[in-house]
Amino acid sequence: MTMTDLRERPRLDGGDQPPAAPRGKRRRRSDHPLWFLAPALVVVFVFFFLPTLSNFFYALTDWSSFKSEISFVGTDNLTALFDNGTLLDALRVTVVYAVLVAVFQNLFGLVLALLLERDNRLNRVCRVLFFIPVIMSALAVGYVFQALLKPDGGLNQALGFLSGTEVQIAWLGNTTWTIVVVALIHAWKWMGLSMLIYLAGLKTINEDVLEAARLDGATWWDTFRRIRFPLLAPAVTFNFATALLGSMNGFDVVQATTEGGPGGTTELLNIFIFRTFGQGLFAQATTMSLVLFVTVTLMAVPVIWYLRKREDVL
Amino acid sequence: MSKALRGMAVTVVAASMALTGCSDPGTGGGDGSGEAASWPAQDSDLSGTTLTIWAAQNSTSVPDSVIAGFEQLTGAEVEVETIADPYEQGVQTRVATGDMPDLAFWQPTASQLTALNASENLQSLDGAPWLDGYDPDLRDITGILDDTRYAALVSMPSVEGVYYNKSVFETAGVTDLPTDWDSFLALGRQLDSQGVTPFFEMGGDRWATQWWVQVQLADAAQDGLWDRVNANEESFTDPTIQGAIDGYDALIQEGLFNEDIATATFEDQGAALLAGDAAMVVQVNSFFNQLQELSDTETLNSDIGFFPISPSGNTATYIPDQTNALVAFNTGDDDQEAAARQLLSYWLGDGYQDFVDDQSTVSLMPDVTTPDTVPDALQAAADSVSGSVGSMQALAIANPDLYIYLADMIAGTKTPAEVAEATQAQFAELARAQGADGF
Repeated sequence: MTMTDLRERPRLDGGDQPPAAPRGKRRRRSDHPLWFLAPALVVVFVFFFLPTLSNFFYALTDWSSFKSEISFVGTDNLTALFDNGTLLDALRVTVVYAVLVAVFQNLFGLVLALLLERDNRLNRVCRVLFFIPVIMSALAVGYVFQALLKPDGGLNQALGFLSGTEVQIAWLGNTTWTIVVVALIHAWKWMGLSMLIYLAGLKTINEDVLEAARLDGATWWDTFRRIRFPLLAPAVTFNFATALLGSMNGFDVVQATTEGGPGGTTELLNIFIFRTFGQGLFAQATTMSLVLFVTVTLMAVPVIWYLRKREDVL
Repeated sequence: MSKALRGMAVTVVAASMALTGCSDPGTGGGDGSGEAASWPAQDSDLSGTTLTIWAAQNSTSVPDSVIAGFEQLTGAEVEVETIADPYEQGVQTRVATGDMPDLAFWQPTASQLTALNASENLQSLDGAPWLDGYDPDLRDITGILDDTRYAALVSMPSVEGVYYNKSVFETAGVTDLPTDWDSFLALGRQLDSQGVTPFFEMGGDRWATQWWVQVQLADAAQDGLWDRVNANEESFTDPTIQGAIDGYDALIQEGLFNEDIATATFEDQGAALLAGDAAMVVQVNSFFNQLQELSDTETLNSDIGFFPISPSGNTATYIPDQTNALVAFNTGDDDQEAAARQLLSYWLGDGYQDFVDDQSTVSLMPDVTTPDTVPDALQAAADSVSGSVGSMQALAIANPDLYIYLADMIAGTKTPAEVAEATQAQFAELARAQGADGF
């Protein structure tokens, strides 16, 4: 969708509109009164801005379940958290997880989009099937995979049937590889969305350009590498940024599959926050979510700047 | 535009501060804790009164018979609201935002009563009419914080001890049960040499890992270990607790546990003990409830036994859980609070026989008979409660995630020393948040 916007905008501006009002700003005034925005703004204000700002405020207090008074403690929580290595560990795990999810989800989404690009009945059915996980509950997805990946679960049984020997791999019990497995599950759940956006991107590529390339003798791979992939830049921007920054806030899939185990190797920051909140340390948990918020913001700026820069070729 | 934004931000901060008033919304309305409360007769008329009880998924049907009897006797209406798991987190979050029931199932330990800010949020149950009915050994075992009683114990507290498979013992020629820690380990090694897996642990589901450390601390607990830890005079990294963690790790390294210890689950543990794949499991009462899901009472009576264990003998370690007790909230409405106390009076009064019969559970009151449907192992666990010592949960002022760090140790990402350090760091953080002296 973003993809379409980005690519359509120049044509709209310079196309069928009179040159006197290139941006079309003035003439839109009469479309809708501004106060139509009010209900949406109120909702955003109450359910987003207010909690986010309280987050900043409570991070500087000693709010807990143990006392009734809340007093101001300055940056004590922050220093205590950074002195204790657990926060940085959880942050490192979270970044590794987010990068893995972003890579896998985009890879799967792009491959699916290329495979299902043509509009025929089979492809349409397949697109729907691959989109279903996106609308499933993340916890349900997590529990299904947890059952499949148990040592005596479905995957090992299938492998055992194929290999003829008993397979007892603890997919969710490996302190090195389990984070890759949970990232794959997360990517599997969301790959349908990436697929959809890549499909939309592919549709906007002008057929004439591709035909010209083919006439010049370009192979499928050549056209993909030199024309189609560069022209997909806005879709890559959207997909990569949403997957990376969205999975920084990951919680449900991992909570349902490993609860942060084995040995804390999949303990995302949000799982750590959940655990701290459950201990009654509300202010500390708030401080951690503030750290997460700041980290995501700091990551978002360079990532989106770099990805938008790639779009300059268009 | 940016000026407008800035103006909005200022307004928001001002509004949010004014709204919260810099105070915790989860503060009780009543001031009942100071005064002696009145105890209405069990059958006082309560027509038109609705009481709410919060329960966890595994305690939601516990009060069924009590509610039926109470509603008929008084005309009150009692609603049970199930709070999703993890229950304790859910309740704490709601109470923190100012939402309160009349009663709730709650772990009656010092650490969990502190976590609810008992002195503000809970009614004092001092002088309750049912106290004299309790077995004197059980009366003051738990539910008390800073000399005030906040929780009503309704069923026998859970204990940590050893569940064993009788036929595995029989096949191996074991006739005498261990009488102390050394003979317990000797038995494990004997079974191991005979090709039997002596112990089964559930490192995958994590939460039971702490029982092995805690039963090793029974003697020290009797000697005031947790008082010293609470005062920051002794730490988890000092030789006593560190020694118990090291001892547990050494037994795992020795190979006395199931091979899949790092990934095994609670369900695996129950199935393994029932099938005789392992001889012994150190667990709490809820493990037996799990066995009851898998088998019938008759089989369990003939196959599964229980004995408590401690370094110098057979002292059990008690750990009351959320299904064992209820707390009554300071809702600020005197009539509701009195009705909640009346329900507890009935529960532990005229309704108690029906309750233990309905739940097939062991009675806390000598005058109320335990039904003969209670399985032998549960009865044995109940018998070990008097004379038992408190667990970390029961006696320490905070309940750190020792079990998670032990599971990390089993998975190989923490050393025993790191387990103690992480536990102590978290304990100190919680103690500081409570404003405990010495931290």
